[in-house]
Amino acid sequence: MAETDSFLHLARPLGPVAMASAPSTAPLNVVIQPQAVFSILDHSLRRNADQERVIGTLLGTRSEDGTEVEIRSTFAVGHTETTDQVEVDMEYQKQMLALHLRANPKEVLVGWYATSSELNTFSALIQNFYSGQGDGTWPHPAVHLTVSTEPGKDIETRAYISAPVGVTAERAADSAAFIPVPYEIRYGEAEKSGLETIASAKDAENGSTNIFTDIEALERAIEEVLGMIDRVSRYVESVIDEEAPASTALGQFLLNTLALAPKVDPADIERDFNNHIQDVLVVSYLANTIRTQMDLSNRLATAQLTLGGGESTGENQRGGQRGGKGGRGGHQRTQGGAEEVRA
Amino acid sequence: MAEYERSPPYGRPGRGLVVMKIIKHSTQAFPTTVTGSIVGMDVGGTLEVTNSFPFPVVEMPPESHFDTAAPNPAAAAPRAKANAVYQAEMIRMLREVNIDANNVGWYTSANMGNFVNMNVIENQFFYQKEMNERAVALVHDPEPEAFRLSPKFMAAFRENKFTADELQKSNLRYQDIFVELPVTIHNSHLITSFIHQLETPKQSRPADLPPSLAALESGAPAKSTVLTPNFDNLLLSIDPFMEKNCDLLLDSIETHHTETNNFQYYQRSLAREQTKINNWQQKRKAENATRATLKQPLLPEDEWQRLFKLPQEPSRLESMLNSRQVEQYSRQIDNFVASTTGKMFAVKGNLLPGETAK
Repeated sequence: MAETDSFLHLARPLGPVAMASAPSTAPLNVVIQPQAVFSILDHSLRRNADQERVIGTLLGTRSEDGTEVEIRSTFAVGHTETTDQVEVDMEYQKQMLALHLRANPKEVLVGWYATSSELNTFSALIQNFYSGQGDGTWPHPAVHLTVSTEPGKDIETRAYISAPVGVTAERAADSAAFIPVPYEIRYGEAEKSGLETIASAKDAENGSTNIFTDIEALERAIEEVLGMIDRVSRYVESVIDEEAPASTALGQFLLNTLALAPKVDPADIERDFNNHIQDVLVVSYLANTIRTQMDLSNRLATAQLTLGGGESTGENQRGGQRGGKGGRGGHQRTQGGAEEVRA
Repeated sequence: MAEYERSPPYGRPGRGLVVMKIIKHSTQAFPTTVTGSIVGMDVGGTLEVTNSFPFPVVEMPPESHFDTAAPNPAAAAPRAKANAVYQAEMIRMLREVNIDANNVGWYTSANMGNFVNMNVIENQFFYQKEMNERAVALVHDPEPEAFRLSPKFMAAFRENKFTADELQKSNLRYQDIFVELPVTIHNSHLITSFIHQLETPKQSRPADLPPSLAALESGAPAKSTVLTPNFDNLLLSIDPFMEKNCDLLLDSIETHHTETNNFQYYQRSLAREQTKINNWQQKRKAENATRATLKQPLLPEDEWQRLFKLPQEPSRLESMLNSRQVEQYSRQIDNFVASTTGKMFAVKGNLLPGETAK
């Protein structure tokens, strides 16, 4: 995925069109959020049988100086390609953009995607539309993202911006020089855990998974750590047996890591451990007590009318009060618990 | 309603795409609640959610018959009129590009399980009533959970039958509010292959041994953002989670207390009125007895219905929701405690190896 291509930023050559406000020529980095790629892949699966590739609009944010574009969402746009003609549903693109911006007011149009790595004349035409003035991204460059979805091959993503070429205005309209720009797929903490959940389905035969519970996730993490420790110790053993090349740096690193094991007085550990485990158990106990108390109090409150007669009303009022008091008692104790936890 | 009850809680494969889209939406606005629509189709009893889109936030007048107007307009967005139009429009657009777009429900983000509230109930009620009785609510917290309102609850909510008397009759308990549905996540093969690539970046050649410690620490592998391994759940961070949960529980106790007080106030004023009525009735009886002996026309004995007004019994709905909320909290605390105690004993066992031998 993360091809380690290196990039040389070139100022993109500008066309012959003289402009009052100079379009941006700053180097550009593209950041892609994973759900954008997911949407593109999903769209690719929903293409009509006769379509080689499908296209859509990229939306996201642009940093103030225009040097970083973050692609956050996408939507599909219908188009048809024949050997000598391409038609993009511009009306659809406009309507969908308006709808999308209503729900995501912070996002702007940043470019478009296609689900094949090929760049051709039609790409140039569409690119010129997206980077144009008016409905396009002008004066910022439009980002073109290609995501190859050929079966049996790796999914290859590339990002481009373009510069106009062509000697006459007519030639310039259907030509563009695509300039590759570096990109990175970036995810935050929440996305990471979401990806993990989704990823657990990847090895299943039918691609389905159930949601893991905390304890199962813990088990998996521990298994992974054990696996890594095994790998490292195998490496160390083979170095000792002079089967693998030794590295001072790796040795130092491992030593430093081992030195991270805390040296604490057993009595301290014992004390900290007991304090914490008590906090944890007390909170759990209280939560369940509170739940039971509330349930009891509500049951008593709703049970009263079945008994009938004034006498039972009194009795149940007492019951209700008892429940209420229990609740209050729980209240104070939880506060105690909370303080303990904070301490 | 009967046919409702026959339908078992079906599994719903939520697509990886939907999960990611909802995560993006909710993290952008965190900690504000966000809502959106989920679309998909019903395939042989399994609700397949294939796509989702967020709702625009619209300011809406408090039109609900419960006076708990949303302080956050996004929370009420799913049942806003403007959004019904938006949703229809969006679904029409999605269909044009071959997405199986039928409305199957809505989603909301939640934080630490605090989703059992009037807004969620009203939204879901609106969906099950107006849209489709099989509509689901997808709560993202941060794992997806799906549920519907139970038919029993729907019936009670429709007529607002939440007095003690009615609850007695319907035997509706807080456990019966929701029908929880199992969620499975299904990925298309392309997405599966993409995730594989994210996890194991292509390496053209075996890495060289690092020349120095500094090179190792600043090198590419140390900085790379590959997906796995993720060891966040090995962290022994206990206090913040516990503290937050205690705060939430305190809030619930507060609510419970208010509700109990309301109810007791009602009972007291009811008893007061009842005494007044009894006195009045006795007085009238005595008067009539006198009148009977004097052969005077009797006075009507049911006039008290006009003279005295019995207080309105407060709805028990809020208490019910609160009970369900507390159950949610205690469930998540139990889950947390289960894994935390395990971790803690493991740490202790490692730091004090002698202890474990005992």
